[in-house]
Amino acid sequence: MAGFSKKLAQPYMTQGVNTNMGGAAATLDYDAELMLRVKDGDSGSFGLLLDKHRSSVIHFLFRMVQNHAIAEELAQEVFLRVYRSRATYEPTAKFTTWLFRIATHLALNQLRDGKNERTQERLDDDSDDMPARQVSDRKPSVEQSMVYESKLDEIRRAIAGLPDKQRAAVLMHKYEEMEYSQIAKVLGCSESAVKSLLFRAYETLRARLAHMA
Amino acid sequence: MRCPIETHDNAELLLAFCARKLDLDTTLMLERHIDVCPNCKEFYEGQRTVWQALDAWEAMPVSSDFDRRLYARIENEPRPWYSGLQELFSARWTRHAIPLTAVAGLLLTAGLILQQPKPSVPAPRGPATASVKSEIAPDQLERTVEDMELLGQFTAVARTEASSDTL
Repeated sequence: MAGFSKKLAQPYMTQGVNTNMGGAAATLDYDAELMLRVKDGDSGSFGLLLDKHRSSVIHFLFRMVQNHAIAEELAQEVFLRVYRSRATYEPTAKFTTWLFRIATHLALNQLRDGKNERTQERLDDDSDDMPARQVSDRKPSVEQSMVYESKLDEIRRAIAGLPDKQRAAVLMHKYEEMEYSQIAKVLGCSESAVKSLLFRAYETLRARLAHMA
Repeated sequence: MRCPIETHDNAELLLAFCARKLDLDTTLMLERHIDVCPNCKEFYEGQRTVWQALDAWEAMPVSSDFDRRLYARIENEPRPWYSGLQELFSARWTRHAIPLTAVAGLLLTAGLILQQPKPSVPAPRGPATASVKSEIAPDQLERTVEDMELLGQFTAVARTEASSDTL
């Protein structure tokens, strides 16, 4: 795999993606088509998939495990598994369903292992290794900054207090705007089970965050 | 309209309303209902607070060396001994060439079998037998020639398909 990184500068198609795979492929989403090109040896398409989904996967994992370093480590593993599976990839579902199924599986394993409790970052950790924390107000006063930090802490704790699957369902529903059916495929359960997960999760969150109204 | 909270099946409707995922008519209908239903109003305001709080939780930016580290891991991945074969057989041109080659091989085998001289059968006595023998031979010869022509056509198609895929 020498020179893999160099290949990323030379995408397979320079004028968009044309598919010559016939009528059966017409229903494939764009990401699935790119993944099929990766299967055929086009490493540039893998770079395109990475560019498109890197942030959403990392942010999802960050909100799940609430540790930036671990989230990026898990995200690396997600994309590594995607790349390893290229030879046997079949577009039986949307690409993002498969991608988030891998991410959710790794996140749930991480939480189950209990490592999160020992390494969960604190809001007052101002280590130089950590990227700058983002808050909604870019130029707050000291008091506003403290209010936002406190609010952020409450939100994090509210999410962390949810059972793992409820947490995953809420994050996919809210931040990835996934439909119930897709969340069900990611979690490997029925659509009605997803609705039940979400309703209970939001009910808990409404109770915990009501004072923020 | 019936209160969505009282009918548990329609609680999903309220959630979709809060997320602004309903069509205009349904949205307007629910807005009018929420104005007069304290339970739904409480649900809506609570859910709106949750959405706003979750919106405020912005994720941290991705590390600048994320991609570099990922590709380094990919390049350092140990490759299984069969990976070369796996890549060869997963290439698109092999998926066309292999079945065509198999068909050509079968036809070639069939042609060779048909070309083999049949074991000699003792000629039955009588002039009628001689005439039957002479009738069989030309048909058999004709079929063999046809099979060889067909085999030639398949081989040409297989070569054409393989060469067009590699381009």
